[in-house]
Amino acid sequence: MHAIETVGLTKHYGHRPGLVAPLLGRLRVSASPPIHALESLDIAVREGEIFGFLGPNGAGKSTAIRLLLGLLHPTAGRARVLGLDTRRDSVAIRRRLGYLPSGIALYDTLTGEELLDYLGKLSGRPAARRAELCERLELAARTLKRLVRDYSRGMRQKVGIVQALQHDPELAILDEPTEGLDPLMQRAFYGILDTLKAEGRTIFFSSHVLSEVERVCDRVAIVREGRLVALEETAGLLARRRRNILVRFTGPAPRLETVPGMTNVEYGDGYVTARVEGSVRPFLAAIADVAVVDLTIEPARLEEAFLEFYDRSGSR
Amino acid sequence: MNSALLRHTWRSQRAKLAIVSLGLAIWGFLPPVIYARFGSQFAILLKSGIMPAQFARFGGGDVFSLSGSIALSFIHPIAIILTSVFAVGFSASAVAGERQRGTLEVALSRPISRQVFYLSLLAASFGFIAVSIAALVSGGVAGATFAGVVGELAYRNLPMLWLNSVLLFGAFAAIALAASVSFDRLTPALGVALAIVIIMYVLDVLGSLWPAAEVLQPYSLFHYLKAKAILTGVAAPVDLVVLLSVTLIAMGWALVVFPRRDLAAPS
Repeated sequence: MHAIETVGLTKHYGHRPGLVAPLLGRLRVSASPPIHALESLDIAVREGEIFGFLGPNGAGKSTAIRLLLGLLHPTAGRARVLGLDTRRDSVAIRRRLGYLPSGIALYDTLTGEELLDYLGKLSGRPAARRAELCERLELAARTLKRLVRDYSRGMRQKVGIVQALQHDPELAILDEPTEGLDPLMQRAFYGILDTLKAEGRTIFFSSHVLSEVERVCDRVAIVREGRLVALEETAGLLARRRRNILVRFTGPAPRLETVPGMTNVEYGDGYVTARVEGSVRPFLAAIADVAVVDLTIEPARLEEAFLEFYDRSGSR
Repeated sequence: MNSALLRHTWRSQRAKLAIVSLGLAIWGFLPPVIYARFGSQFAILLKSGIMPAQFARFGGGDVFSLSGSIALSFIHPIAIILTSVFAVGFSASAVAGERQRGTLEVALSRPISRQVFYLSLLAASFGFIAVSIAALVSGGVAGATFAGVVGELAYRNLPMLWLNSVLLFGAFAAIALAASVSFDRLTPALGVALAIVIIMYVLDVLGSLWPAAEVLQPYSLFHYLKAKAILTGVAAPVDLVVLLSVTLIAMGWALVVFPRRDLAAPS
């Protein structure tokens, strides 16, 4: 069973069903065209994986999440979360998941502790993980006694993470979870994700920060303008990416133009730069007899893969 | 209903409830005292013709009898404004305000249906109104006792006065909450609810002061609270039925509209 499965999931805003659109036309009332926030999304998130949902602001990430939570109703298609239908079984689904919205808004008149107590009670499950999460995110008991309105952005985000995970949900849906966290806390948060994954929890991780998706996610889906443009293993995506190469040498220059996967080969005085796509073995074989002084192979960044996907889908 | 949401709502409103209840108790205290001290003088003034007779009929209340003075305290703008803190202010902001602040999605990402969410808030609103009106009734009794006219008061009619008033402001609360679930922002929800209360109040006051406008009074919910008649033992059960019907219609609207609404990210 998949933790999340969507089939043709579509959301148009401003869509007027049934008799409304013809009626507006007859009355000569111009209706603004519908916004296609999400278009036929097909994804399947495996149980126990950390699934990255990647795309720039406005790509449809939050719309997809809101459809999964039942906050929005799909225009077409369907979604199942933990084997349950998001339209029929929304309450049962929410009993088993934790959710961190992007830019979370909290009840400012409560203390951190009161807020976590209240949201914990609404969840209907004991806050089994709260102490551990607070410790790892350095949320001291004294801090939790203060009013939420006095918290910094980072503190709010930490409380947001705790409220999403304190009841130990089977599935965590985290929308931009590291927003406002300092690098140390980001590292602590990645540690929490590792722990959850080791315990078999599923994490749906939405972000536009490529480096963190690259770091924590098993698979990644890339959305653009409401459409899925790629879905694959993070490692596979990275392995297929081009690497930038710089070789400094003495003596005769290596001939790289004919090496499989090599492009953009440029020669300079005692150095050569190039790009290699796929395996680097043919390139290493080609420079085996060269007197290499220095060699730089820039690691493939997901950012480049991401931009490449965007370039490709944009040029279609 | 969700007990955690209900408790949270009561806790968050307790200070406001205490202030409003105290205000209503103090306000309720005054008319019986004014009646006891100046009622007969006002009656002489009225008979002399200096004051138009219509002023003695404002909202069905007067200051020439204990029941009239207590009735006046219920229909006076001060009581309406104080009670509307919950009937309109709290109810209109209960969903639209949370939606605007962005806290609604945190609450609704929990295992709580929108119907239960709405019904819990409506129950809380009725609870606040019930306590507020009880304070107003208590203030009236305290004022009558202080002024030494409590013997003129028929205690057995007070529960009906309380119930009728709770249903009146409860109907406004149901309308305000129906507006609250229908809008993404607080301002239109509050505007619609407030406009309905003000228009209805104007219709009722107009009808009570100007005989030609009496025909408008049945269109006002305030018409269905006849405090003086209730205190003199002439309660009209049909008034309760009308108020209850309006409440049920507003509830029906909210229960149909709210679960079907798209709750997009707050802008």
